[in-house]
Amino acid sequence: MAQPLPLTEPSPPPDAALIAAWQGGDEQAAAELVRRHARALARFLAGAGAPEADLDDLVQEALIRAFRAVDRFRGQCQFRTWLLTIGGNVLKDHGRRAARHRVVPLDEGLRARDGDPHERAEAGEAESRLVVGVKELPRLQREVFLLRAQQGLEYGEIAAALNTTEGAARVHYHHAVKRLKELLQ
Amino acid sequence: MNDEAKLEAMAQRLGAQAAERLNVERTAAAVVERLRAEPASDARWSWMQPSWLRIAAALVILVGGGLIARQLLLQPSTSGGGHEIAHFVREDLTDLSADQLREVLSTLDETLDLRGARTPELDLEDLDAQQLRAVLRSLEG
Repeated sequence: MAQPLPLTEPSPPPDAALIAAWQGGDEQAAAELVRRHARALARFLAGAGAPEADLDDLVQEALIRAFRAVDRFRGQCQFRTWLLTIGGNVLKDHGRRAARHRVVPLDEGLRARDGDPHERAEAGEAESRLVVGVKELPRLQREVFLLRAQQGLEYGEIAAALNTTEGAARVHYHHAVKRLKELLQ
Repeated sequence: MNDEAKLEAMAQRLGAQAAERLNVERTAAAVVERLRAEPASDARWSWMQPSWLRIAAALVILVGGGLIARQLLLQPSTSGGGHEIAHFVREDLTDLSADQLREVLSTLDETLDLRGARTPELDLEDLDAQQLRAVLRSLEG
């Protein structure tokens, strides 16, 4: 069973080294990349509207696709950013399948959660509206918004990952914020 | 805090709870297991497929281009050759003797026979030189 790298290690290997190791057949390098990025990917997918019941499967699927296609990753952006865009594609495919099978996801509020239900309901009302709003954004706006506001990425990085210009990324973000603010008011 | 800052603060929390519930170790093990269990053959096939398509397209272009080039090269020489033969026949018919004319007609008769457009039976022996010339001119078209 693979163990995570010791926390005391001064400088963990960069993603590029792990990618090269995985390309050389090192499964533990792949496992380490999963440990580093799976939670951010899950957060991105959940923020983009992935049903929580499917989140684990979607995360796995995105990671598998990324590892299979890693030869096409040219380092134009960070590995994580590239992985998140693959997650966006996986989520889009999942949405198509769900639409075909008429799957109606459970309401977030009905899911079992930790913490006080009343407090959660108050704090979660605006968040629920935001989740719905983000989900209803056009895909590029949604991804730019999440990459910027949720993941804290720079516009240049976002533009490189989404194969667009920095200016276009700013415009998408601006439109997304405008629509979401209207929704939340 | 303005609206945009509030929105960004909320966005940072978006999906955080669901992500916290993800069992990362289990996910890592499952991903490695799937990468091992689903061998790269599928991935290799997906890479090979466009390669094969490219090779097939190149072959089609090569063979098709070759055929077109061959046709273009052969057509002028064939038509030019035919023209030369017709020219030769027209120029020299008057100089040929009756026997020579019969020989030419026999050769032409064989050629026409090969092309499946055999002329009605002619007894060349019965024709004189003038008639033979007339037959040859008629064959010239």
